[in-house]
Amino acid sequence: MLARQAHYQHGGNEDDDFDDENILAASIVEAIQNEDDDPSQTLHSLQSREDDLQSRLQAAATPLEYQASLEARYASYDNYCSLFHYILNSNGPVELDLPTYYWAWDVIDEFIYQFNNFCAYRNRVAKKGQSHEEIASLKENQQIWGCYSVLNILYSLIQRSQMNEQLAAIKRGEDPNTVAGEYGSRPLYRMLGYFSIIGLLRVHCLLGDFTLALKTLDDIELNKKAVFARVMGAHFTTYYYVGFCYMMMGRYSDAIKAFSHILLYVARTKNFHNKSAQFDSISKTMDQMYALLAICVALCPTRLDDTIHSSLREKYADQFQKLQRGGPESLPVFEELFQISAPKFISPIPPDFDNTANNVDPMQHHLQVFMSDVKNNMMAPVLRSYLKLYTSMDLHKLAAFLEIDAEDLRTKLLVFKQRSRQYKWVEGGLLSGEVVNISDLDFALHNDLIQISEARVGRKLVDWYLRNLTRSYA
Amino acid sequence: MPAFDNAEDRPEHITGILNGLDRYNPETTSIFQDYVSQQCEYGTYDCYANLALLKLYQFNPHLARDETITNILVKSLTVFPSTDFSLCCHLLPPNLLIPTPASSSGDLSEAVQKLTTLNTQLESCQFKEFWNTLDSDDLYADLIADVSGFEDTIRKRIAGVTSSSMRSISRELLEGWLNLSDEQFDTFVKDTAGFSIEGDSVIVPLNKDNEAKPTITRESVKFDQFSRVIRRAYEAPA
Repeated sequence: MLARQAHYQHGGNEDDDFDDENILAASIVEAIQNEDDDPSQTLHSLQSREDDLQSRLQAAATPLEYQASLEARYASYDNYCSLFHYILNSNGPVELDLPTYYWAWDVIDEFIYQFNNFCAYRNRVAKKGQSHEEIASLKENQQIWGCYSVLNILYSLIQRSQMNEQLAAIKRGEDPNTVAGEYGSRPLYRMLGYFSIIGLLRVHCLLGDFTLALKTLDDIELNKKAVFARVMGAHFTTYYYVGFCYMMMGRYSDAIKAFSHILLYVARTKNFHNKSAQFDSISKTMDQMYALLAICVALCPTRLDDTIHSSLREKYADQFQKLQRGGPESLPVFEELFQISAPKFISPIPPDFDNTANNVDPMQHHLQVFMSDVKNNMMAPVLRSYLKLYTSMDLHKLAAFLEIDAEDLRTKLLVFKQRSRQYKWVEGGLLSGEVVNISDLDFALHNDLIQISEARVGRKLVDWYLRNLTRSYA
Repeated sequence: MPAFDNAEDRPEHITGILNGLDRYNPETTSIFQDYVSQQCEYGTYDCYANLALLKLYQFNPHLARDETITNILVKSLTVFPSTDFSLCCHLLPPNLLIPTPASSSGDLSEAVQKLTTLNTQLESCQFKEFWNTLDSDDLYADLIADVSGFEDTIRKRIAGVTSSSMRSISRELLEGWLNLSDEQFDTFVKDTAGFSIEGDSVIVPLNKDNEAKPTITRESVKFDQFSRVIRRAYEAPA
């Protein structure tokens, strides 16, 4: 356990003395070893009371069948409630060492997944309107899997463990144990509290509150050494939701950064992971992230890492090309990719079972808001391709090329300019940032004369130099 | 630039609620509502707090007040081209934007769709059309009535957009964009926007967004990148 705590403390630290690659490899090796540990072996050596809690925790981390009945879903909710109640409200902290820390993640992950799934199930029942029994039961039991209770559990786990205080202490370079308190110094609470923060990120995002989602991560440093990075599923989930929230805030360059970061990480460590059970779900999320990346790059042309770029083209060649070409033909492709890659949004209140025509799929709602942003930017690729060719150009001439009205073009240029100025994260909380020019093309209008400038990237020599230097040593 | 979750004029009690679990407490709804009215009256703006109120409405639909919702949306128009309007829309009940039989006849749904039209026009920089739309229906006047200085704030924003793209622009065009003419136009352009007028043209002073200067980004080389090479140089036998 000590070693684990040391890692944990290290996770929040900012010291960059360690070589990233080494850390990366070490954590993967450990993750795999952990996976090989059979949890049941650890189980036998424990006392019976712990034994009980262990098995309940294990049950809480076990996926519910997709086809599960309403009763099974209610029962599962009750189990979570009594488990968390026991952990949170017993006389003093519950004594238990978590066999592995990704267990805590699995519990939180499954808890939110079931919540998400329950909301979808409820909407399906309302939509079909066939099973009167289920409808009556759902109407009566609105508090089950309610938003308030789910949020309540996550917030309570965070508060019990003093997790935000601990993380803040780590950030200041202090010992988190001084603020951890009776509960927070134990691995069970510490890990549940920590992953509940990631859980909140997810729930807020599912509810469409993208800013609060990012705000939740204020005390967590996003880097490879963060604690979540030690559990592949958590690492992955965090970046998916962070990237998605940025995308919904129109901060495409930040979204691209988040997606590329994690996709590159997985690409590099693929050989370590592809045998693990987690990998199936990871590869599905990976495809989703590539789709989101395609959307973001189309809206904010950015040069991607070569590995990522070729995988993107491999997976979504057709769609990506259409997105990049822009125009009205690109809109259905944006919609298609958004729908396959966005999280399964939740409506916080139960659907209207009596007037089902009133229920709108939350996905359609968020899609519509997002698409209004996309539509506005539809002409940008075409505009770009022309602007790239000239250093100065008459507005009327360009309008003639594009076969649009000159004043129409002027407004499109203004939009283009606005779109090229985006908030970009520099330091501090994820919500902070500075307005920067994210486009390599810029222009100014002198009445009807467009003066165009381009930002070029100079030759990159350091890599070449280093490679050759290393070669000469060998 | 301030972070999104900060607002200059946010009172302390609001900060307290936002940072704690009281942001979920339905009893704070009225406090947030008063805060929205205050923002409308004094021309301050706090999107992060307004989103918290919309979230409370999202969780407790029976508490929602139509007037407050539209005021929040109108306020978020005054900060275009930021994405605040969209962020607010994401927290609205889904059947306001995608009308259903029951909601399409509702006043709120109509109001939200009207405001969405305004937002689209602002975001796509169709300023002349924006003013025309605003004048086209009395409902618009009702919607913006609570937000003091709405039109002037929008004008300032339009001037901002103009100054980021233009070095000079014809007077006639800008008059249409700002919906001002004659002396009012002269005063606004010179005193508020800081532009100058030369004959039929309005001259925009140079700023970092409208200079359009070609740049070459050079590689920034950090010492760290060489650490391995240098280490090897030390370790290699002399």
